[in-house]
Amino acid sequence: MTLDAAERALLLALADDEHMVGARHTNWIGLGPFLEEDLAFCSIAQDELGHAIGLYEILLSDLPDSVELDKYAMLRDAADYRSCWLAEVDCSEWSDSLVRHWLYDRAEALRWGALTGCPDERVAALAIRALREEAFHLDHAERFMGRVAGADATGKIAASINRLMPLARGLWDVPAEGDPIASGFTSRPITELAAEWETLIAADLERWGADSTLPGSTVSTDQVHRTIRSEGFDAFHADLQRVILLDTSAIW
Amino acid sequence: MKTYEVFLKKAGRDEFRHAGSLDAPDPEMALMYARETHARRAEGAEMWLVERGNVLVADPDALAVNDDKPHRHNDGTLVAARRKERREGDDS
Repeated sequence: MTLDAAERALLLALADDEHMVGARHTNWIGLGPFLEEDLAFCSIAQDELGHAIGLYEILLSDLPDSVELDKYAMLRDAADYRSCWLAEVDCSEWSDSLVRHWLYDRAEALRWGALTGCPDERVAALAIRALREEAFHLDHAERFMGRVAGADATGKIAASINRLMPLARGLWDVPAEGDPIASGFTSRPITELAAEWETLIAADLERWGADSTLPGSTVSTDQVHRTIRSEGFDAFHADLQRVILLDTSAIW
Repeated sequence: MKTYEVFLKKAGRDEFRHAGSLDAPDPEMALMYARETHARRAEGAEMWLVERGNVLVADPDALAVNDDKPHRHNDGTLVAARRKERREGDDS
């Protein structure tokens, strides 16, 4: 089955999101708030990178020419990535990473959920596998956030939500190629998923006894169909490329 | 944080074995973390967690009194020796 432009755009956005967020999560290896959390968060990072690989494989197998996965994942020009800013941005504070993890995995469950009945069997199988892992990610995010978001004595969680929520809405920026709902590739339109996501986020905060008023934005967070990279992307991208550029012909 | 002892059992007839311990704020998170700290490579098909405070610990001195009771060790050598003696007795 050959993917059309809108279908490719949707899968690429999901793949690049998984890649970027997985890579960002790995920055906590050895630095997590405590050993057990370090390991759990690192497992989540590995899962996300695994999903990215699965999606890249589908995208590449659909191309007429053979392209190596690592090179496609790492060595594209910045303008050719379709990740959203939430997945890309530096979250060096644990509270930022935790809030991103929660916002992102709430969205992922919905995005993968809309692909489990995909007519492309490769995509449907990957979605079913990914959702099994996402159940753990969401469970982890909810349990951790549920224990810190309500109390939040230092205000760090609220500050992270204020910082990241406006960026996070870029998750739902419909690709320029359109939403592949018409062809039945996905079961629900992106705009519908976005609305449900906002409702779920607010309901989580309310359940945890935190302020459930979701912040708007005073700065431009228009990600122009995911074609514009976030601040700090180039340094992050260079960091990701550091090993592969040592020898691009090496076989791992 | 509380400390939990983790026990794992592989599929089949193997018994539960102590796999290690971990720290977690409560039982729910302990179960979640235990899977990632001790079973992330499918080391077990079943898992028990016991909060360390709930483990009954015996006094080592109470155990030490049994250090010197070789007659309680039955490795079969005495019986084997007697059987051999009997057999050789029958041959002659």
